[in-house]
Amino acid sequence: MTTLHGQTDAKTLPFTQEARQPFRLAALKRGWLHVVMVPLALLWLSPLVWILVTSLKTRTEVFDPAAGFLPQVLQWANYPGALSVAPFGIYLVNSVLVTGGILIAQLVTITLAAYAFARQTFPGKNLLFTLFLLQIMFPIYATFLTNFVTVRELGLLNSLPAMIVPFVASGYGTFMLRQSFRQVPTELADAARLDGCGHLGILWHVYLPLVKPTLIAFGIITVVTHWNDYMWPLLVNNSENVRTLPIGLGLLAKSDSGADWTRLMAATVVVVSPLLLLFVIFQRRFVDSFMHAGLK
Amino acid sequence: MVISTALSARIREAGLAYLLLLPSLAFLAAFTYWPILRSIWFSFHDVVLGDSKIIWLGLENYQRLLEDRLFWKAFGNTAFYTVITIPLAITCALLLAVALDSKLRGMAIYRSAFFYPVMIPSVAAGMVWVFLYSASYGPINKGLSLIGIPDTAWLYDSKWALPAIMVMSVWKYSGYFMLILLAALKLVPSDLYEAARLDGISAWNRLIHITLPLISPTLYFVIIIGLLHSYQIFDYVYVMTHGGPADATNVLTFYIYQNGFQYQDVGYASTLANVLLLFVGGLIAVIATVFGRRVHYLGR
Amino acid sequence: MAEVILQGVSKAYNGRPTVHAVDLTVADKEFMVLVGPSGCGKSTTLRMIAGLEEITAGRLLIDGADVTHAAPQKRDIAMVFQSYALYPHMTAYRNMAFGLLKTTSLGKTEVDRRIRAAAEILHITHLLERKPNELSGGERQRVAIGRALVRQPKVFLFDEPLSNLDAKLRTRMRGELKRLHKELGLTVIYVTHDQIEAMTLGTRVAILSQGSLQQVGAPMELYMRPANTFVATFIGTPEMSLLRCAVKADGTGSRLDHESFSMVLDADAANPDVFLGVRPEEIHVHPHSVPGMARGIVERTELIGSEALAEIMLGQDRITARMPVADVPESGAQVSLSFDLTRARLFDANTGRALAA
Repeated sequence: MTTLHGQTDAKTLPFTQEARQPFRLAALKRGWLHVVMVPLALLWLSPLVWILVTSLKTRTEVFDPAAGFLPQVLQWANYPGALSVAPFGIYLVNSVLVTGGILIAQLVTITLAAYAFARQTFPGKNLLFTLFLLQIMFPIYATFLTNFVTVRELGLLNSLPAMIVPFVASGYGTFMLRQSFRQVPTELADAARLDGCGHLGILWHVYLPLVKPTLIAFGIITVVTHWNDYMWPLLVNNSENVRTLPIGLGLLAKSDSGADWTRLMAATVVVVSPLLLLFVIFQRRFVDSFMHAGLK
Repeated sequence: MVISTALSARIREAGLAYLLLLPSLAFLAAFTYWPILRSIWFSFHDVVLGDSKIIWLGLENYQRLLEDRLFWKAFGNTAFYTVITIPLAITCALLLAVALDSKLRGMAIYRSAFFYPVMIPSVAAGMVWVFLYSASYGPINKGLSLIGIPDTAWLYDSKWALPAIMVMSVWKYSGYFMLILLAALKLVPSDLYEAARLDGISAWNRLIHITLPLISPTLYFVIIIGLLHSYQIFDYVYVMTHGGPADATNVLTFYIYQNGFQYQDVGYASTLANVLLLFVGGLIAVIATVFGRRVHYLGR
Repeated sequence: MAEVILQGVSKAYNGRPTVHAVDLTVADKEFMVLVGPSGCGKSTTLRMIAGLEEITAGRLLIDGADVTHAAPQKRDIAMVFQSYALYPHMTAYRNMAFGLLKTTSLGKTEVDRRIRAAAEILHITHLLERKPNELSGGERQRVAIGRALVRQPKVFLFDEPLSNLDAKLRTRMRGELKRLHKELGLTVIYVTHDQIEAMTLGTRVAILSQGSLQQVGAPMELYMRPANTFVATFIGTPEMSLLRCAVKADGTGSRLDHESFSMVLDADAANPDVFLGVRPEEIHVHPHSVPGMARGIVERTELIGSEALAEIMLGQDRITARMPVADVPESGAQVSLSFDLTRARLFDANTGRALAA
């Protein structure tokens, strides 16, 4: 009886140890990971926290070294104060028009071009594709000087189109969509031809509905890029009624040289919040979009 | 007769393809190819902004470039920023991605915490960091004073201004790179890790010898994306330091802006722009030859 | 419904020929099967008929009209694809309606009537509102056929439509297709690599190899009188055994000499070098040594349920015989063989062509 007992012990002991240890080890490791990651995440979040907190403080609280981290009284009045300095309503409309204009124009151009590259044969295809990719390497931010000269010659300075036209074609979008188009089975296109579709019919009825996730992903990336764009609008605009939100914010920072941080941060919250709110609501969509932008 | 119909069908097909490419090509020509060609053309001339008269200078602009100490400073700053920031941000992103890939609880919250800076306009980010970096009341100095580090006017100190912008860049882009790498990590088959674990290979060696080679195509892609995002340093310099102090943060894009827009010297600014194009093009070529060939494609 | 005529239809990719001058007439209400090994050009031929591939040379007539270079939708054809090619983002109903609405000016009610009628025939009425990813393989197959049926085209084209189904479902769909063809009086051109499918479905079968048409005929005609050794061995499982023989003149008539037997030939054969083709069921195996009969050694036997197969070495040639399970010999046994020569065929050993016997 005792020997039997001893035997089972000897047998089971190493097994339980082996089975449990990796789990315990993993749990321990994961615990340590949190110990590292929580402060790191807080560090990453701190600028945002600072924006929010500062936007609700009084000016003296900002500069007073004795004042605490949180405001004594929440200064909601900073918000209307900030918004009354400049016509943020107009800026918002301009931002929507510019971003929307670029988005629609790009969706049209990249769809047509990506279809040609994905499904048609024509001389010079590879060369042309390389030329499209060239734009990824040398975006407007690299050629802004001579582009400015061109836009100026076209008489577009201080107009909304000035902020749209340089971005109408997108090498990156064409590339992304071409990859997706190539995933669509060719038999579907054949079936559509028998069903009476020409190239444009196939594109509209078969390809576009099937690559919707890619279109959404590209759309989100484009919106984030151009909603936040600063350099190009800064160069081509010097007129109140065509300014976009980031330009308005930059201007506010400049004019408030006395550094009224409370108003500036309130304005920042206003400018930043539309995208951040969308991000919070459609988190999965955003994350998926940026994730898959990298996968080909 | 038969051949001619087949041929004409092919010509029609090609014609349609060119038609589909036309809208893109027209805009690419106007705002990508033409500016590049024009920049080259301008660099051999004296061009004044807003003046239609241009004067042939030959290589004079290039000679001036070689002797321009400020150009060399801006070039050095650009190279320094690019070569340090991108690897730093990618390393940071890779570590974050590996940590999050281990099915950490609260994954979605962590992911958002690291990713949200991408959503913030560069001008807003720049401003906030000016505030964070400010000398007496800035939170960073407040925090550092707790561990006995004296007040520093980070953005007004020529030694610290550029590194300060680089730290901000790492904060802004690591989350983006992390997300792309995270997607790649998820595609690494878990039986590979299991096999390696059975072979008794340590976590560090698994990262170096299994994970990295398998995600190398994505890593390569992230490097390129990082390089292209480094154009945005213009926004930060413009908002945070305006090139100062003493041109410590003057970078090529900003120097082009100063020459072209403030001094209206488009000829010289174009010469500088060509250097920028060559720098970025060259860097991509180097990366492509160094990494491009070693990339392991998983089942492709 | 109508006749389809291919006149010297050829296809070349970048100057490399893949289909050579195919002449084929598909009669009205006929079920024509194009069969051959993979890469033989059968699918390309079908796609040329559909208008999905340009015809490099030759003419194609459907119902008397020259449609060699007509656009696919102008040919009045419908096609069922190997992968079914159902639009994933449309319901079964929309899949069937899409082409109708695009190619015809039928009203909504007529379209609806046709779809309901086709769905009735195919027993898919309850599936009409589902999308393809909510359907099983067999159901998708029916929807794909339905999409072709509603078009009421002159010709139905099928490109290996059953190859993605499991064996059981395949047999059932085969019966279904046959029923549809008969009941609705369809003209069908059907591509497959499976010779059993070809034999069971086709009213006539066209066999292709390396881009050339080898023989066209009713299934049993191909089985009984193959035009060449390719057809002879391609049709029938296990395949026909070919025995290398020499024809020798012998006073009154001629003799057929094999290394292990010799027999009298009724007719004259012009060629000295021939293959004698014998099907497994035409070979009789005798367990005991019978004088005057060819003798072989059993290599291996296989029981396949109702009957058995035996591979037998006859000199240098390996032949396959079929027999009742009760009569199967032992492996390694010496057996005597006799052939049922009423249907034996001779082929020219050099060209492979059948010799008139």
